[in-house]
Amino acid sequence: MAMKLSIFVALIALLLPLLSTAFSPETPTDRRILVLLDDQSIKSSHSIFFKSLQSRGYDLDFRLADDPKITLQRYGQYLYDGLILFSPHAKRFGGSLDLAGVLEFVDSGRDLVIAANGAASDLVRDIATECGVDFDVDSAAMVIDHTSYAVSKTDGDHTLIASDEFIQSDVILGSEKIKAPVIFRGIAHSLNPVNSLVLKVLSASPSAYSANPEVKLSSPPSMTGSSISLVSVVQARNNARILISGSLDLFSDRLFGSGVQKAGSETIFEKSGNEQFVTELSKWVFHERGHLKAVSIQHHKVGEVVEPAMYRIKDDLEFSVEIYEWSGKSWEPYVSDDVQVQFYMMSPYVLKTLSTNQKGLYSTSFKVPDVYGVFQFKVEYHRLGYTGLSLSKQIPVRPFRHNEYERFITTAFPYYGGSFSMMAGFFVFTIVYLYNK
Amino acid sequence: MSRNLGFLFLILSLAICQAAIFEPVSDKHRSAALHLFRPVDGSFGSLEESYESLRTFEILGVKKFDVSQSTCPLVVKTLEASPTCSKDLFDALRVNRILRCEVEADIFEKIASKLQTGIREASSLLDFYYGVGSLGLIKEQSPETNVQLSDASTTFHSIKSLSQSDGRWLFSFGSVESSTYAAGTVHPGLALETLAGVISLASSELDQSMIGAVKSDIVKLFDSTERYDDGSLYFDDKLLDTHGHQGPISTTSAVVRGVTSFSAVISGKLNVSYQQLLSCSLACLLAFVVLCEMTIKFLLPGELLPGDKILGLARFFLGIGVPGNAKDLFTQIDSVACLEDNKISIPLILSLPATVLSLTKKDQLKVKVNTVLGSSAPPLTVKLVQAFSSDKKEIPVLENQKLNVDPESSDHSLDILSSNIDIGKYIFSFRVVLHESENKKIYATGGQTQVPIFITGFINVDSSEISILDSDLGSIETKQKLDLSGKTSLSLSANHLQKLSLHFELTTPHGNSFHPHQVLLKLSHESKVEHVFLVGNSGRHFEILLDFLGLVEKFYYLSGKYDMQLTVGDVAMENSFLIALGHVELDLPQAPEKAPRPPPQPVDPSSIYGPKQEIIHIFRATEKRPPQELSLAFLGLTVLPFFAFLIGLVRLGVNLKNFPSSALPATFALLFHCGIAAVLSLYLLFWLKLDLFTTLKALGFLGIFLLFVGHRTLSHLASMSTKLKSA
Repeated sequence: MAMKLSIFVALIALLLPLLSTAFSPETPTDRRILVLLDDQSIKSSHSIFFKSLQSRGYDLDFRLADDPKITLQRYGQYLYDGLILFSPHAKRFGGSLDLAGVLEFVDSGRDLVIAANGAASDLVRDIATECGVDFDVDSAAMVIDHTSYAVSKTDGDHTLIASDEFIQSDVILGSEKIKAPVIFRGIAHSLNPVNSLVLKVLSASPSAYSANPEVKLSSPPSMTGSSISLVSVVQARNNARILISGSLDLFSDRLFGSGVQKAGSETIFEKSGNEQFVTELSKWVFHERGHLKAVSIQHHKVGEVVEPAMYRIKDDLEFSVEIYEWSGKSWEPYVSDDVQVQFYMMSPYVLKTLSTNQKGLYSTSFKVPDVYGVFQFKVEYHRLGYTGLSLSKQIPVRPFRHNEYERFITTAFPYYGGSFSMMAGFFVFTIVYLYNK
Repeated sequence: MSRNLGFLFLILSLAICQAAIFEPVSDKHRSAALHLFRPVDGSFGSLEESYESLRTFEILGVKKFDVSQSTCPLVVKTLEASPTCSKDLFDALRVNRILRCEVEADIFEKIASKLQTGIREASSLLDFYYGVGSLGLIKEQSPETNVQLSDASTTFHSIKSLSQSDGRWLFSFGSVESSTYAAGTVHPGLALETLAGVISLASSELDQSMIGAVKSDIVKLFDSTERYDDGSLYFDDKLLDTHGHQGPISTTSAVVRGVTSFSAVISGKLNVSYQQLLSCSLACLLAFVVLCEMTIKFLLPGELLPGDKILGLARFFLGIGVPGNAKDLFTQIDSVACLEDNKISIPLILSLPATVLSLTKKDQLKVKVNTVLGSSAPPLTVKLVQAFSSDKKEIPVLENQKLNVDPESSDHSLDILSSNIDIGKYIFSFRVVLHESENKKIYATGGQTQVPIFITGFINVDSSEISILDSDLGSIETKQKLDLSGKTSLSLSANHLQKLSLHFELTTPHGNSFHPHQVLLKLSHESKVEHVFLVGNSGRHFEILLDFLGLVEKFYYLSGKYDMQLTVGDVAMENSFLIALGHVELDLPQAPEKAPRPPPQPVDPSSIYGPKQEIIHIFRATEKRPPQELSLAFLGLTVLPFFAFLIGLVRLGVNLKNFPSSALPATFALLFHCGIAAVLSLYLLFWLKLDLFTTLKALGFLGIFLLFVGHRTLSHLASMSTKLKSA
């Protein structure tokens, strides 16, 4: 019996690490990623990218996209925290995985990287469409740019694009400036205008267009100029992050190592910006940056420490919250000067920017409005590239009690004076009236 | 027959599009190797890693790191421990082959005799592989050691018995599974390498029929090659995930090692050249390969590989470029080195340092022919068979030109300028002609090589003008010259009854007309709605006529300022430009009710994110009060009547003669008035500090008390007055 029990415990211990969860503030480390490939050669041709992920502690599980044993979840538990789709040609995935499966995976707050290239399959296009970007419908179309291509002696068709039009966001691309232009060869996509969660990280230059380079244009290209997105990201409301790239080559060792010279510019960069760009972007996608958590929301009256159950109108109160950012290894204090708190009932009555002590603590003080009802302290923090913080804490506000009003109002003294002199007169009058003879 | 020809033409035209250039191993590989293989504490790590690093550096000719200090003790230790037929021993011997550590001869003797027994008892292909491989290495490192396999024939048979009819190999005796892996397409390579080792170690001549059987195995094996569009061949292992990672690179590499070593030991027996068979002017590699395969399958079964298979494999390895990880770099370099001096046929790689040639810079077309490792080729001539424009494939621009050889750099070059070739995209096909006919058997050149060449130049932009026309009459309202090379900032205005016309001319440096791929006019409204128009052309004239009447619906009836932007670009155009022409103020009619709405435009993310405006609650204003002095003055005024009342009473001469004189009523009267005073004081206290409940409680007691004493006092006073009246 004891042996059975020990076997059972051992089994549980074996299984436990397999049952992974999405990025959670409690156990953000040890993340497993499933990599689906079109063929095994991608593993070696993109080895620098994979190696950088592995060296950052990710556990990559490489599978062919048509592997019949692919499964994302077992017994209702996801086996992976992230999914990298480097299989642009996969018409369908092996095993039980399909479009709905991938979307469910994202809906559960997990991360996704999609790389397409020319002749991307409908499946990959459909996944991208569900994520808010539309690839060019012409399957032979490539992004062409005749004025900002990467100069190459052996590559003359101007589909190898050097772009340095990055999103202005330190959190997505790291605080260090991307040193060299990024080389891109692939297909164009545009952002769905009604989707406000998807962001263009790398966009094409105004002279770019998406067309088949081998065929003469017979109609205006469907995508032109800066509206073409080369690489986009999505920060979903459930903190799932998605990276969509129109080029699989962007991640390849070949483009990581190649030098770049942008057409029309004399500067020759010895190494393209791809490695830096992709590494920084992957750090963001896998939550090594820009993942915030808020803890210990506190509020109390000025001069007190204990949180009251209720405030009275016109009370002076102090509010504080601590915000931390995940750095890949530990929770670091998040420093910013634009965290705001709202004192909210149907609409914000007070909206105030919190001041920080540079160690993650944000605080402010304000006077409770002279309106009573059930209020909320709300911190709605949505910044480009950061996970959103939506905190609220309910607190009722009451009016003055009867004895809390002002008691001696000078203006009323004449009335009091009148009444009391009347009373004194009454007292004198009673005596006089009763005993006068 | 005609159908076949049509099919052939299809293949040809496909091959033309898929032409690609392969570069031999170059300094890029050397710097990558130096970057990837870095000794840590004077050593490359394990024996296998050491071997891979040392072998890569050996092939590349890089002598930078001396790791013998730290690696040799490890090698000697492994050799002394001498496990039988193991990978460790094999690796140690491989490292020792390069490092030449000091190993005593009797250690080799000991290992060799152990290995010989080990091979006799071996049961799996890997045992054979390591055993035979180790023996081969010992033979090389210590020639005096006896490494001969006395029963080579038996060993050969036992290995051969693992081979399957379909060209695959079993992993071990009794293994049921015959997947390409378990025996593995890796293992055919290993098996061949092992067999080659057995032959070279054999003490007596082996049966030729067995060698013949292996040859046919090799042919079968090559039936399972897969090919990329660019003509490179590789072996793929289909059942990968069941046994871990064996990518096409390592699989192909194992086959290359096996086939080359096998061919080396039976040198001269494998080589069959099909050049003669196929010299019938077939233009491309693909057709060549297809035909070769047909020949092998149907004409000459049992014979071995044509040079083009080898070339295809070489192309596969070179097509990888510079791998990013150490393992792949080693595999690539090692395989390429095997191909470099193989006995079947040595592939020659035709490469071009530049395929984008500028007419303005007077670039020359240069072609290099090297072996895979980048060493120089035997004397040869590169011929430009023909060159044709990618648009007009039927008329060649150049034909049958010999390229000049630069004796110093052995580059082959052609002067493009003098050949009067205009800018554009061309496909050049080259053929390598070896000078000595003997070399034709040794080297594989791959017939014709198709290379896409871009010839770029400066395009002249002339007589550009923009005008607004009146629709009905066609009369010109405004006409303005444009300078498309510089900056223009037009300011035009038009209504929906007018037309806008843009016109310019493009000519090549040779004065021909030029049709760029991208000639787009973009009109973008203030609300970011964009409209792109293709500018059509006739000859060198480019013209677009925008009739606004027909475009109102497309423009969503949006009047206002439209920015105009003209983009002209092409791969052959060195001065591709994007120019903002200025703007046109359009006055379009009001939108009817059912007009299409403009599509939503993506919102700027900065408008969604970012801090909000602060909100400060405005408190209700306190009521206005008179100044304190005024209130106090009025307080004084309200008290005044009381004093007037007192004075009045004094003036009237009031007295208190009616106050009871006897003790008890007087006490009651006193108590009664004190009670009244107390009630009034209670009112004062109520104002000053007490709350309602305390006040009412006190008032209740005082009230009862007052009722009592008041009744006594008043009844006393009443009885007094009745007494007085009655008296």
